[in-house]
Amino acid sequence: SGAAWARGLLNWARPERWLPPGNLFPLSCIHTSTSLQKIGKWEKKNRIVYPPQLPGEPRRPAEIYHCRREIKYSKDKMWYLAKLIKGMSIDQALAQLEFSDKKGAKVIKEVLLEAQEMAVRKHNVEFKSNLHIAESQTGRGRYVKRLRCHGKGMFGMMKISRCHYFVKLVEGPPPPPEPPRTGFDQAKEYVQQLRNRTLVHTL
Amino acid sequence: VLVLVRSPLPRLRVLLQRCWGRLERGLWPGIFGGQGLPWGPALAVQGPALVPQGISDAGAPNLPESVVWMAAPKQRRTIEVNRCRRRNPNKLIEIKRNIDVCPECGNLKQKHVLCGYCYAKVKEETRLIRMEIYKKEGGPFNAPTVETVVLYEGEKPTEKDEGKRIIERARKRPSWFVQN
Repeated sequence: SGAAWARGLLNWARPERWLPPGNLFPLSCIHTSTSLQKIGKWEKKNRIVYPPQLPGEPRRPAEIYHCRREIKYSKDKMWYLAKLIKGMSIDQALAQLEFSDKKGAKVIKEVLLEAQEMAVRKHNVEFKSNLHIAESQTGRGRYVKRLRCHGKGMFGMMKISRCHYFVKLVEGPPPPPEPPRTGFDQAKEYVQQLRNRTLVHTL
Repeated sequence: VLVLVRSPLPRLRVLLQRCWGRLERGLWPGIFGGQGLPWGPALAVQGPALVPQGISDAGAPNLPESVVWMAAPKQRRTIEVNRCRRRNPNKLIEIKRNIDVCPECGNLKQKHVLCGYCYAKVKEETRLIRMEIYKKEGGPFNAPTVETVVLYEGEKPTEKDEGKRIIERARKRPSWFVQN
C-alpha cells in the first residue's frame, strides 16, 4: 500500500501540472518557478501532452498558444486588429501589421514573432512560414480609475484600460475561406428543417 | 442645475403611479377627468385636474417657451445593436494589397513608399557624413560657397572635382552610393 500511495502521489505531482516544462527534477514537489503570480489558462494550454499517435493516424498539426498580458491599449480597439489577422498565414499577418498605423499592431507583431520563434525552438515545427493563425482574441485587463480635471474645478473619473492578447498558431497552410451563404443554401436548410419535423409522444 | 437621480426601482414607481391614478379615479370619480356614476347633465371639461397630483409632477412647464430642447437618447442601446454597429464591415480594418518585397534588401515595403530599411541605411550614412562636415567647418555659419564631394577609402579627386570641398570618409564606398 505504501508503493500504491507513492505512485498516486507521483501522479498527482506530475511535472506538467505545476512546473514549467524542461525541469531538472520532475519527481520533486517543490515549486521551482514563480508560483506567486497565477499562471493563466492560456499559458497552461501549451503544457498538454498527447499520447503517442498510432501508425495509421494522420499527423496531428502542432498548436502553439501564446499571449501577452496587461497591454496598455483598449480591448475594443485591439479587437479590430485581432479580427484582421484571424485565419491568415503568419507571413501575411506580419505584413499587414507592419504597415498598420495602430498602436496595437506593433505589440501584436512582437507577440507573433515570439510565438513563431517558440514554435521553431520548442514545439518541433519544421518551417516557420508553415504556420497560420487559428485563433486570435482580446481580453480585458485590469482597469484603474483616475481623476480627470476639467475647467472650473469640475472633475470626472476616467478609467485607464488595459487588455490581453491571445493567439493560437497551428502548423499548416491557412484553411480556405468559407464561401458566403447564398439564398439557395438558406432555402435548402429551411426545407430540411421542415422535413425533420416529427410527431412526439404518439404511436 | 438639473440633477438626475436614477431610482433603482423604476417599475415599482410606475406601478405606484398607476395605483394612485386608479385610487384618485375611485375616490373622486366626478372631478378627475371624465364621468363617474351617471349624475345627470354634466360638463365634459378637458383641463387640469383640481385634485393635487402627487407623483406625476414635472418641472418642465415652468421653463420659458424660448428654451432650446437638446437631443438625447430615449432608450439605452442594447449590446446587440452596439455589436451590429461596431462590427459592421465598414468599421473593420481593410487588408492592404499594396505590399511588395524590396528588391535591394528583401524587406517588405509599400508600393508608393521607400523601403524603410534602405532609407534607414542611407540616413545613418548621411548622419556620419554630416558629422565629418561639422568637424571640418568647426562651427555654425562656416559653410563654404563651393560644392562638396564625398570620397571614400582609396579614391582620388578627379578633374571634375577641381575647386570643390572634399569630405573624406574612412570606409569602403557603399554599393548604393554611386560615384560620378
